Amino acid sequence: MTAIVEVTDLTKRYGSLAAVDDASFVVREHAITGLLGRNGAGKTTLMQLITGQELATSGEIRLFGQHPLENAAVLSRTCFIKESQTYPDGFKGEHVLKVASWVFPHWDEQLARELVDEFRVPLDRRMKKLSRGQASAIGVVVGIASRAELTIFDEPYAGLDAVARQAFYDRLLADYAEHPRTIVMSTHLIDEVADLLEHVLVIDEGRLIIDAPAEELRGSATTIAGKHADVEAFSRGRDVLDADSLGAFASVTVAGLTPAERAAAAAAGLEVGPVSLQQLVIGRTRGTARQEVAS
Amino acid sequence: MTVVALPTAPPAPPIGRRLWNAVRLHVANPWPTLILPWFIFAAIFGLNLAIWQIISIAAGGTQNLDADAFDYNGGVTWVLFFLVAMAVQAMSLTFRFALGLGMTRRDYYVGTVAYLAGLAAMYAVGIAVLAQVERATDGWGLGGRFFAPWFLADLPAWQLWYLNAAVGLMLAMIGTVVATMWVRWKALGLYTFFGAFAVILVATGWSLTVSESWGSLGRYLTTHEPAAIVSWTLPVSLLCGLLGFAILRRATPRA
Repeated sequence: MTAIVEVTDLTKRYGSLAAVDDASFVVREHAITGLLGRNGAGKTTLMQLITGQELATSGEIRLFGQHPLENAAVLSRTCFIKESQTYPDGFKGEHVLKVASWVFPHWDEQLARELVDEFRVPLDRRMKKLSRGQASAIGVVVGIASRAELTIFDEPYAGLDAVARQAFYDRLLADYAEHPRTIVMSTHLIDEVADLLEHVLVIDEGRLIIDAPAEELRGSATTIAGKHADVEAFSRGRDVLDADSLGAFASVTVAGLTPAERAAAAAAGLEVGPVSLQQLVIGRTRGTARQEVAS
Repeated sequence: MTVVALPTAPPAPPIGRRLWNAVRLHVANPWPTLILPWFIFAAIFGLNLAIWQIISIAAGGTQNLDADAFDYNGGVTWVLFFLVAMAVQAMSLTFRFALGLGMTRRDYYVGTVAYLAGLAAMYAVGIAVLAQVERATDGWGLGGRFFAPWFLADLPAWQLWYLNAAVGLMLAMIGTVVATMWVRWKALGLYTFFGAFAVILVATGWSLTVSESWGSLGRYLTTHEPAAIVSWTLPVSLLCGLLGFAILRRATPRA
């Protein structure tokens, strides 16, 4: 595999707060990687570090094998779309697209126009006057039409309605299939993107707590539900990621069950179900900091 | 960690193209910097023309006015402060946008300074050309002096251009330093800038007084060509330009 992004022992401190705490991972070429985590977990800081916008306190970052900071060779192949992007005073959507067409070597103007139609973004209105969703849509159009070899989306959908978000996922996936590239998507709408992701990174309080292929994660945990006592008996001694109870009933999320164990649970009258990526991430970032699943 | 292959180093786009992108980023929307200022010029000039008309009608004709009645005017100086505003916006809002597009700070800065210098040069050309028209028409038929007022009235056109361009460039570079300090250190940067600015002013006045040099400064200013005096702005511009880059080089586009 080829590592488009390679991060080693990366730390970023703001005073005493470690926004990114000793993170090491790689982002593989031609894959869609999800960067998941709660608000304030350090996702945006991490992406700003990768794109040379923030300066690391310590550690190493390589983009296409090179240091990203002030490196035109690698930054020109990178497109970073973030929700909080500001635009020059008086800029309209058409100006944003014009500039994007200059700076991205693989820009596809026709695709950009199609996407503008699909998202119904007004190009002749000032960016400042656009609704949050419309401004987000401009970012999404730039991100897809840039066809940058490394495209990073940081919560790109803020204010987009469900229809537009689905259109974004569909168009991104379709274009990605035709023009393979490396995509990193930071999001907290995990269920929506779960099927897109090939690899998952989960960051919590600055620390990378999950770094695993999405496929592996999907099978890595199981929910067991049933009568309180039965559930408790079954889960005793196991790695419980999350537990819930309602009256006489309880459900737990258990890590690393073999098919035989699942069958045994079912035979004991318990309800056995798969765990969504979202549930898994919630279980792992809700105050607990376990390290063992799928590592 | 698994052993990974590293991709081959990609070539950077040519430097000329990168700098040109940084320049034209500022004119992607030409309205606020290239078009609107001419309308503002027209409006300010129109108002001055109207006031001259009113005065000359009230006086019963320009022949009844002092010869230098309309010689003093500072109407064109607004464009110099407009250049400060352009520099400030370029270094704050546009900088963040440029970084978002994957430009390097260095390319952005060099392209932006080139663009600001170009703006100063362009507006100085406009002022010099209009000053020639002003002279040819005997002050728009009213003896008015708007584009080349006061001690500039008889300055050769190239000197007038040089003076406006050089002063405009210096103000733009000072604006650049203020704005980069804001981007890098926020309010603390501004306090530092204006504090340092006040200290420099007072220190200059102090040393001129202590060394009893006010007289020689006055003599220098009155006995030298405006073009020679204005050349002192060039090292200031250069210094500010370098300082701005030193500050922006490690600035981050935080909201």
